[in-house]
Amino acid sequence: MSEIKRKYVIPGELVTEGKYNRTTNVFRVDDKFYSTRVGMAEVSSDSVRVIPLSGPYIPRVDDLVVGKIVDYSAFAWEVNINSFFSAYLLAQSVFGRDYSPARDSLTNKFAIGDVILAKVSAFDRTRDPLLSVSGPGLGRINRGEVVKISSTKVPRVIGKKGSMIKTVESGTNCRLTVGQNGLIVISGPAEGILLAIDALNLIDKEAHTADLTQKVQNLLSRLSEGEKNE
Amino acid sequence: MSNLVNSKGLRQDGRKLNELRPIKMEVGVLENADGSAYIEFGKNKIMAAVYGPKDVHPKHMSVPDRAILRCRYHMTPFSTDTRKNPAPSRREIEISKVIREALEPTLILTDYPRTAIAVYIEVLQSDGGSRCAGVSAASLALADAGINMTDLAAGCAAGKIAGKVALDLDDTEDKEGDADMPLAILPNLGKVTLLQLDGKFTRKEFEQAFNLAKDGCMKVYELQRKALTEKYFGKGEVEA
Amino acid sequence: MAGKKAVVVEHLKRDQMLEVVSKGKRLDGRGLLDMRPISIEIGFIEKANGSAKVRLGNTEVIAGVKIQTGKPFDDTPDKGLLIVTAEVLPIASAYAEPGPPNEEAIELARVVDRGVRESGMIDLSKLCLVEGKTVLAVFVDISVLNVGGNLFDAASYAAISALVSAKMPKYSVTKDGEVKDTGKIVALSTKLIPVSITMAVIDDTIIVDPTLDEEAVMTARITLTSADKSILCAGQKGCAGGFSTEQITFAADTSLKKGEAVRQIIKKSVERGKKKR
Repeated sequence: MSEIKRKYVIPGELVTEGKYNRTTNVFRVDDKFYSTRVGMAEVSSDSVRVIPLSGPYIPRVDDLVVGKIVDYSAFAWEVNINSFFSAYLLAQSVFGRDYSPARDSLTNKFAIGDVILAKVSAFDRTRDPLLSVSGPGLGRINRGEVVKISSTKVPRVIGKKGSMIKTVESGTNCRLTVGQNGLIVISGPAEGILLAIDALNLIDKEAHTADLTQKVQNLLSRLSEGEKNE
Repeated sequence: MSNLVNSKGLRQDGRKLNELRPIKMEVGVLENADGSAYIEFGKNKIMAAVYGPKDVHPKHMSVPDRAILRCRYHMTPFSTDTRKNPAPSRREIEISKVIREALEPTLILTDYPRTAIAVYIEVLQSDGGSRCAGVSAASLALADAGINMTDLAAGCAAGKIAGKVALDLDDTEDKEGDADMPLAILPNLGKVTLLQLDGKFTRKEFEQAFNLAKDGCMKVYELQRKALTEKYFGKGEVEA
Repeated sequence: MAGKKAVVVEHLKRDQMLEVVSKGKRLDGRGLLDMRPISIEIGFIEKANGSAKVRLGNTEVIAGVKIQTGKPFDDTPDKGLLIVTAEVLPIASAYAEPGPPNEEAIELARVVDRGVRESGMIDLSKLCLVEGKTVLAVFVDISVLNVGGNLFDAASYAAISALVSAKMPKYSVTKDGEVKDTGKIVALSTKLIPVSITMAVIDDTIIVDPTLDEEAVMTARITLTSADKSILCAGQKGCAGGFSTEQITFAADTSLKKGEAVRQIIKKSVERGKKKR
């Protein structure tokens, strides 16, 4: 019944005609739906959407993001989350409601240049996004290297039920912390990090291809072969 | 008399009157840019890059309910026959403006309030028709940047040489010819978003040239589609 | 402002870099004194007298040479002109603003200029047509297409390659001192190939050909240009930090040694460019 029709589209291209309740990345003229992005169009019985293959990161509440502290004021840290809005981490949300700028020092918690894992707690395009670091695993990241990929490719990096992450992690002896915003922290041995970066760049570039997992596995086999040669 | 068209109706480079120069396009050519494209249009070699959406500076220039679009068309000093002064000329400033106004109708700027989107067009080598080629490249760069758009913009010029209406004038034809009319259209929305005219047309020639340029734009659009397809969909592998 | 904030160095990256450098390696897997891959495309701009597009790692630079007649400077009436400019195009980086060249772009042009001029690769007195009246002006215009670290060397290799492969009209001077284009094309006469090598100090260790990340962490930078195997002809120290005496002599040796390898790459690229045409 609910067969999904897929096709590649570019901006301005007609996706489908008819009545649809749910739409994403399309615009409507009368009964016609046109894509606003380069991507894969999916049409089901009640929805039409385009999954974009490029584009900036747009925050959504509850997204897990990797960010860099770039500034602070008396009341908040400013965090670069690879989006067109700077995000803010309020001092109150870290120190508690009785936070006092006179008593508590923001720099003791996070300094400019620190990389953090945070959750988007509020955002609605008219205001800058707010972050929170309360939760398991959230807060400053102390080891690793940050790599940037297109945020539209994050689902491919994660894979079905995290399968792609597992493939990369086990092939490189590294740990990956994936932000929905396209920033990924890789920690582990130096040569493993190099290989993981290559793997992520491959996924970023070839996210649309069908045999992606195989390609990534081929690339990762380089490390084990290197070990054998030594 | 002009020798721009010979007795067989062919132009100096061997083209027919309604023929485009060879065109090459590539999407995603610059690492740092959020979106980029390269175009060769005859001897024109042009790079376009998009940065944004991003913070607006100075901040008071930002608009609460939409993004502002900035555009710069610039020629490198070595792009012309005689060396060009690197500082922007009045010509470049005007072209920057008309290109911005050609691209703006394709963008859904209200999706990115309080931000700026910057489009930079660098002409590495120019050979007549660089503004049209620049629009086409810039539009590809915007699509590459993944900014919400209602259509692409495709550019192509038509003019008059040796008294005949002709498609896509090169540098010599532009200088020695009678008229040049650059055009940019939005192929799906059917809108003309750039039109300039430089030279004399009769009412009939005007319409002829307009239709010829529009056909040229549609051919350019097909190449734009091909360039995006190559970058994003590869050989068209679709995952089941 | 946003630019300044965005260049804040991640502590993670810095720590990781320092750790790797202390082990004699680089984040991208290179050895301390290794250059990134260099590719040089000659003749990319047909309308220029000479041109070269250079890729050094992910830095991309294009240089165009234009040779035109002009008036000599009053203090050198018998010498041709050499004018080098550089612009980091706004397409090249999120932090490159459109507008007149800033301090960095001007330094870039002047360091490239110094390497060309002081090496004596071009004999400017041979570019004089009519003393005090007409000489040839050689313009070298450098446009940075993508900023990816070590603009100095990429810009220099592009400029040098464009000059070495440049062709120009042959001019003749009549008895009355009138300059005429003979319609013949000749090569711009160049004697040698100056090569710049840029090094950076990270954690008191010298590295060659810094990436953008390494430039964000480096405390000092030095560019030394060699005219041939044994002659250094131009130099520029940069950044707020300093070098020890040992580091300076080491940098001099490194520039001569590494320069020779790059010289061969430039030679081969120019040869290949000739065949293509």
